[in-house]
This record gives sequence, structure tokens and C-alpha cells, in this order.
Amino acid sequence: MSEPAYLDNAATTPLDPRVAAEMAACLTADGVFANPGSAGHRPGEAARARVEAARAQVATAVGAEPEEVIWTSGATEADNLAIFGLAQHMEGRGRHLITARTEHRAVLDPCRELERRGWRVTYLTPDHRGIVSPAQVEQALDPETVLVSLMHVNNETGVIQDIAGFAAVCERHGGARLHVDAAQSFGKCPVDFTRCGADLMSLSGHKIHGPKGVGALLVSRRRGVRIAARQFGGGQERGLRAGTVPTHQVAGMGAAYALAAAESAADGVRIERLRERLWRGLEAAGGALRNGGPPDVVPHLLNVSFVDVEGESLLAAVAPQVAVSTGSACASATNEPSYVLRALGRDDRLAESSLRFSLGRFTTEADIERTIATVTQALERLRRIGGICRTAS
Amino acid sequence: MSYSELTRRYFELAPLAGTLEGAQIARGAAGGRAQGVWVQFHLRVESGAPDAVRIAEARFLAFGCPHVIAAAAWTAEQAVGRPPGPSLPLSPEALRRLFDAPVEKLGRLLVVEDAWIATISSIDRGA
Repeated sequence: MSEPAYLDNAATTPLDPRVAAEMAACLTADGVFANPGSAGHRPGEAARARVEAARAQVATAVGAEPEEVIWTSGATEADNLAIFGLAQHMEGRGRHLITARTEHRAVLDPCRELERRGWRVTYLTPDHRGIVSPAQVEQALDPETVLVSLMHVNNETGVIQDIAGFAAVCERHGGARLHVDAAQSFGKCPVDFTRCGADLMSLSGHKIHGPKGVGALLVSRRRGVRIAARQFGGGQERGLRAGTVPTHQVAGMGAAYALAAAESAADGVRIERLRERLWRGLEAAGGALRNGGPPDVVPHLLNVSFVDVEGESLLAAVAPQVAVSTGSACASATNEPSYVLRALGRDDRLAESSLRFSLGRFTTEADIERTIATVTQALERLRRIGGICRTAS
Repeated sequence: MSYSELTRRYFELAPLAGTLEGAQIARGAAGGRAQGVWVQFHLRVESGAPDAVRIAEARFLAFGCPHVIAAAAWTAEQAVGRPPGPSLPLSPEALRRLFDAPVEKLGRLLVVEDAWIATISSIDRGA
């Protein structure tokens, strides 16, 4: 049996071979393998130079200064460092933070943990398109608010939020810092850390054909942001994230960000065309409802609820031919209906019967045609077995 | 979620999925699509001496997870040639073990049993 068409790029992406080559050059004795913290010899200096080159690549790609890039093990760690680190640093000023119901669990779970520790958390509900407005944030801010944490692009629906608008509101408030989870946005829509006015921003390596196990937290120097460290034992990363920096991982992330910066505009046009072809094909199967759509979403993501079909069976029926996910891969282990889609007004049944199709650099037209055929066939079969008569539109 | 080979086979092939038409067909259903599980059986029972009555044909419809569809398909297949009684060929718990379904899905397999009992009851009422 051939490998399924891979349309789960929002969960993770395959490594770009050019990235893999950069990483391989940092692993073996003939490469840049030394500890970048070893300043007393040439191999260590070479490793440090490679780490700093990667830092500059990431910074350039996202409009930040290299000194603002703190390496982490991924976006989840970056989110935790931002939220707990800022909360600890700022709790003398206030113990209130604002987020949205549709955030990734890497943000929601730390917020719930802070609630258990006595913090107040306001969870904003997005509108029917999945969008949180700056006015909602402004209304929720109070003198005790020290942090607003909102994502740039939603991982389930692809909806793009107005982070510059959130930053302006926080600026007017004066006391609240803005943290943006940008794990799903860079490479799919423009990201400029300095211009958007965010104080903290989480980045991921593996969503744009870079390696898993590496990410970064951007901490604005221009805006004088301070956070408390969460991890101790070596003082690396300006004392904010102790531990030996994995040269091969950050070299891979740097290369992936440089490639995405150079190629994402052209990739985006091609991917959006494929995504719209996919939607037209699925829509023709009948009973397909799009969750979020242009111009509010990034080009690589399509989330669809299917009526008159049970979600687990639909996923099982398409899985041999197409790799997709129901909602967020990070939450799908719980087998619960997507909280993001429920927050958008879909009932439990429709939330359960939704599929997230996420395209990437290596998605082909053949993948899209195979996906349309597979899903259409699965819908017809399952509806027939379920005693439901529905003619394709 | 991963599925056993048996579950995947009965889910993918769904043998005997469909309906039987005619006045003498016994039908019974349980559950609801809005609740995520619905099963209906259709049986044609051969008439004859009371101890020689057998199920001649069986079909099913099922809306639910792969375990429900597989269990309904297997039940319909096993029913053919048996006398029409209120007991499933296997109890819901035995079905759960046969298809390696997680414990939390037992409730869904009870819907298969309820649909079977409803179908047999319709024979008793003279379907």
C-alpha cells in the first residue's frame, strides 16, 4: 500500500532536505559538533558562531534583533517561559491575565495553572469567524492586568488575529504585556516582531520544515521586557534558559526560517490555489461546512465539518489514503470534540465530525485530487451505511 | 485511535450493510444519530415448524464509530441461519473484547444489543 497523502502539516512538517544537510553538518567529528558554550577552543568557537548565525537567521526572518531570540525546545516551552516567566516577574504589579478560549493548550494549560495559584484569568470568546477583536481585549483589561496572551494564527482553523491591534490596546493600557503564540504563523503570513508591537513571541521550528525539538521565545529588548527564568543550571540564553544549546537543532531552525522567508510568498500562492481546489472538491461531496475562510485564514489550512457522518469513522475511513487530523493533533489524544470549533458555535456533533487539512511545501496536486476522491467516497459509504440519503451537490 | 484487524475488516467491508424490503421483514432500531450512535437491523425469518424457524437474511444500518459499525456488521452476519432469539450471538461485553474496543465504548455496543432486541420484538409482534 502506498503512503497516504500527507495533509497534516499544521501538526508537523517533513524536514526540508536542505535543512537536514545543515543539521548533519553539526553532528559528527568532521562537523561543527562541539559545545557552543566551550569558549576556550576552536571547535567550541565554531559551534558558538554557528548558533549565533542561526539566531541571526531567525531574527532576520521575523523582524527581530538577534539578542531578542531565546532558544527553547519548542513553542510549548516558549509559551510556558513567556507566561510563567512574566507572571513571576510582574506579580507584584497585578495578578490578572487575558487569553482566549481558542488558544492552544500550551497557553491554556499554563493559564489554568496560574488560576490554581490564585491568578484571575479572563477567557475571551471569539466571534463566529474565530476572531478576537482588540475592543474585546480593551474591555477586559483592568488595573491588575499584567499579561495578554493571544495567538497569531489558530492551529485548528487557520484564522489570523490582529496582533498589532492587540499591541496598540496593551500600549494604551500601559501595564499589560502582550505575548503572541506565533507557532502557526511564520511562513504562512507576514510576521514582524518589532513592527507588530508584541512584547513576547513564541516560535516553532518544526511547523515550517525545520526540526522538532527546537523553538524560540522572542523577548523585546526595545520595549524593555523582563521575565523570570524557569530553568537553571548553566546561565545559557542570557540566563533565561539554562542548558547546552543543541547546535544541530538551532542550525536547522535557522535554515528553515531563512528558506521560509525566501520562499513563502511563492509557496503561499501555490498552496492557496491547492487549498481552494480541495475546498471546491469537498464542497461538491455535499454536507460540508467550512470553519473559517478567506480572507481571515492562512493559505495552508482548511477546516471542514461534515454533516450526517460520525467523526471517528470518517477519520478511520480516510486514514489509509490521507493523513489528516481532527482538530489539533496536540489535543486529539483526548478524543474530545474540538474546543475551538465549539467556541465558534459548532455543536458537539459537528465539532466531532470536522477534519483539518493542512498543506505544506511538498503538497502536490495529486495529493489534493486523491484526498477529494477519498473523502468523497468515505462520505458516500458511511452515509449509506448510516441510512442517510444525501445527493452530492 | 488504532483498530484491530478484525475491526478494520468489518468496518471497511461492512458486509450485509443495507436494508430488506417487504411486508414480512422484521425491523428494529435503537439509539439516535444526534447522540452519535444509531443501529437498525432488518431480518427475514423463514417460516416453518416452531423449532425450525431460522433467520434467512439479515441486513443492518449503523451510524457510529468503527467499533459500532463492525459489531453491527458481524452480528448481522452471525445471525443468518440462527433461530431468532433475543440474545445477540455475543453479549455486548464479549463483542467489546472481540473487537478490542476500549471499555468506554461498551455503552455504544449496548445500542447494538438494544437494536437487536427491538428487531426480535417486532417478529414477536408479527412483522
